[in-house]
Amino acid sequence: MAHRPEFSAQTLAVLAELCATPSQWRHGYGIARDTGLKSGTLYPVLIRLADRGLVEARWEDEQPAGRPRRHLYRLTSEGLATATAALAQAPFAARAPSPVRGPNKRRVAARVTP
Amino acid sequence: MNWLTRMVMALLRGSAWLLPADRRVWMRALWAEADDVPAGWRRLAWLAGGLRLTVREAALHRGLGYRLAFTAAAAGTAWTAWSGPPGDSAVTVNRADVIAIAVILAGLPWAVRRVRGPIAGSWLAWLLRTGGYAAVLALVLVKAAVERVAEAPPNNFEGPARAWTGEVIFLVVMVGYAVLILVCTARRSPAAPGTVAIGVATGAALGVLAYVLGPLGFPLRFTGPWPASLYDAAMALGVLLGLCAPVLVALAAARRVDRSRPAVSRIGQCAMAGLWTGTAAALVVAVLSTATIALLPYDSGLRYWASSHVGQWTSIVSQWTPIYGPRGYFGYVAGTSAFAAGYLVVLLLGPLFGAALGALAGRVAGRVA
Repeated sequence: MAHRPEFSAQTLAVLAELCATPSQWRHGYGIARDTGLKSGTLYPVLIRLADRGLVEARWEDEQPAGRPRRHLYRLTSEGLATATAALAQAPFAARAPSPVRGPNKRRVAARVTP
Repeated sequence: MNWLTRMVMALLRGSAWLLPADRRVWMRALWAEADDVPAGWRRLAWLAGGLRLTVREAALHRGLGYRLAFTAAAAGTAWTAWSGPPGDSAVTVNRADVIAIAVILAGLPWAVRRVRGPIAGSWLAWLLRTGGYAAVLALVLVKAAVERVAEAPPNNFEGPARAWTGEVIFLVVMVGYAVLILVCTARRSPAAPGTVAIGVATGAALGVLAYVLGPLGFPLRFTGPWPASLYDAAMALGVLLGLCAPVLVALAAARRVDRSRPAVSRIGQCAMAGLWTGTAAALVVAVLSTATIALLPYDSGLRYWASSHVGQWTSIVSQWTPIYGPRGYFGYVAGTSAFAAGYLVVLLLGPLFGAALGALAGRVAGRVA
């Protein structure tokens, strides 16, 4: 019986993106731009990851001039461990998912390829 | 483009109330990011993704799909039941019926939620609530179709008072059914999910069997000796099953109850199992048979079949009349109302009968154990 992967290709793409700079807080549009995911796909993924305690979120501390405060995301320590394990186990096809377009597609595939 | 973007943004802000409170922060995050997205199609696509997120999360957490389906089904039922000539008392009764049922089915969940909590998270609870509501709406629909003929002139010679009395009884019975469905699918249900499941499955099968044996509520008659004997045997078996099923279901429910729990609790579960068996059977047979009766005035093939196996249908006679031929019982001459009226009794007595048999079985099983 085939093993059912724990994360979808889109979730793996988000995990790979956050894994690249685990200590850095990222905002949603930046992740969407780098993974090629649409907002309607990205936010459900972030919500599920936050529900599982793999991603933490906070609002920007200070009010920037000319734009609203952004919501920021990064992996928790548990999220980092899970993401590292998931990316190491994922087959190559899942690590470079078709929705991932744009400048980061090559980066995602390269990062997770042994 | 700008006006379209502004419109989608306004729609997104306006639909935020659909989301549970803990999800609204994600929607605000998506709005805040929209300023970073280049204006034009990209920003529009970003905001459209927000709408998709709203619908998805609302459907997951607030049962949006269920509410939309109920609204569509209630609107469809109202539209179908609404038609008829002005001044016809049957049409007035049907319209009042549809409005009352829609208000009852929409309002009762709020009341039950306060006492028994929201709907349980299991797929069984959703299936039962959806199926139960669908059956109640279907019954209202076919009943309206029957009454459009049964209460139309000259059948309404007894006046509108009789129609309204029947209507009030029907509505009270439907409130009972809706409350039972809602309470037993709520998070703090008094019935164990397994008890409800086994009762509903057995009751639905019994309802289908009862419909097959007497689709119009009257026993079938066959001219040949073999078909008649076979039918009589099937009827006897059906009656036996009807009596035994609530008992067997109750005994199965009793086995699932922890023996350390008090006897009252076990008897209660047994009564619940019997109640659900009777309720499901009554609802299924009432919907199927009333739908068949509703087709009688419009389907000549069905009328021909009825005249040779049940009795003659007439659009005028209100009361049923048994007809005896040279070899005894021959059939009936009956109007639509006579065919249909019995199902109100079935709806009323079916659950009570099932609950009584279930409780009795639970009590006996407790003594034997």
